[in-house]
Amino acid sequence: MNGHAAQDAKLERVIRTILKIGVAASGAFLAVGLVWSLTATGSATAAMLMTIGLMILMATPISRVAASVVEYTVQRDWPFVLLTSIVLLEIVASVIAALVFHRRL
Amino acid sequence: MAVTPALTVLILGAGVVAGAFGATLGLGGGIFLVPFLNLVVGLPITVAAAISLTTVIATSSSVSAARAGHRLINLRLGMALEVATAAGSLGGGITAQLLSEDTIRRLFAVMMGIIALLMLRTLNQRVAIPGTAVDPGVLGGRFDDPQNGGVVAYRVKRLPLALLMSFIAGNVSSLLGIGGGVIKVPVLNAWCGVPLRAAAATSAFMIGVTATAGAIIYYGNGQLIPALAAAAVLGVQAGSWLGLRIGERASNKVLKMVMAAVMLVVAAIMAVRGQR
Repeated sequence: MNGHAAQDAKLERVIRTILKIGVAASGAFLAVGLVWSLTATGSATAAMLMTIGLMILMATPISRVAASVVEYTVQRDWPFVLLTSIVLLEIVASVIAALVFHRRL
Repeated sequence: MAVTPALTVLILGAGVVAGAFGATLGLGGGIFLVPFLNLVVGLPITVAAAISLTTVIATSSSVSAARAGHRLINLRLGMALEVATAAGSLGGGITAQLLSEDTIRRLFAVMMGIIALLMLRTLNQRVAIPGTAVDPGVLGGRFDDPQNGGVVAYRVKRLPLALLMSFIAGNVSSLLGIGGGVIKVPVLNAWCGVPLRAAAATSAFMIGVTATAGAIIYYGNGQLIPALAAAAVLGVQAGSWLGLRIGERASNKVLKMVMAAVMLVVAAIMAVRGQR
């Protein structure tokens, strides 16, 4: 159990780093894009910056799930490899659902 | 609806207010932001929910980044329950595309009413803390509790119930654009043996993934307007920061009573609008 605790603490640090980078990067793109869009209405660059910001925002939790899959694989903790992989698959399923609804419109 | 600078600034301001109240009350901003965007700004409820979900993701990531490393977030429990919340969220995102505007608005009104009543019920709540000599098992946890002067250890009980409620929370989250912590946290605390602070931290950690599964569906369907989402995200982030600082000084009991009353009125308005 103690070995697990040490490895879990490592995963927690990795996750913290991913979340911090994600928050800072998405915040920066969204802020610059938003200010830009207010000064130059209809700017394509501003719209692109904000879209990138939202992409990073949504990629952040997905990245930390992916990092967890990797870490549990290294730990050979197969039940948790399975659980975290299912979560990733569910995200893939929502991308597929998004595409299905997109095509219906 | 045209995205004007005035509208963007309005939503930024609404985000600040929603984020501040959300952080102070421990509810998240979505429960206030969605009705504002729908009733006041006049956005369709799916567009409002999509914007709100992006703020949920941002709040989850920033709050969890600050908390990670203090063992308060139960990673393993969170990862296990995410299987259920993400599945629920996937279902909720799809359901949102199939239900009518009126139906979703009525569901939101019901949810908001329940949350307001729950808030009134917990006005004088004192949190029960479990003992320290517990073997936490695979899913349990341990964290340092300065208020209690020691390490708190707990085991997770009734996992199937936690999974079921997580599924429902995920579903509600992406259908209505809220975090869903309000459903999970009381159940994890009251029936599954998870101390309130650990339950809240773990829930806040999970809702990022939950909301992402839903937000992707709205985004793919063109219901996520980037400029409005950007304004809301930045506003809520600033508002939560403010709320956590002001909230310490504000009288929580009076604030909860006032906000519960406001929420009941807003819920009634949403329900009536849904009837037309």
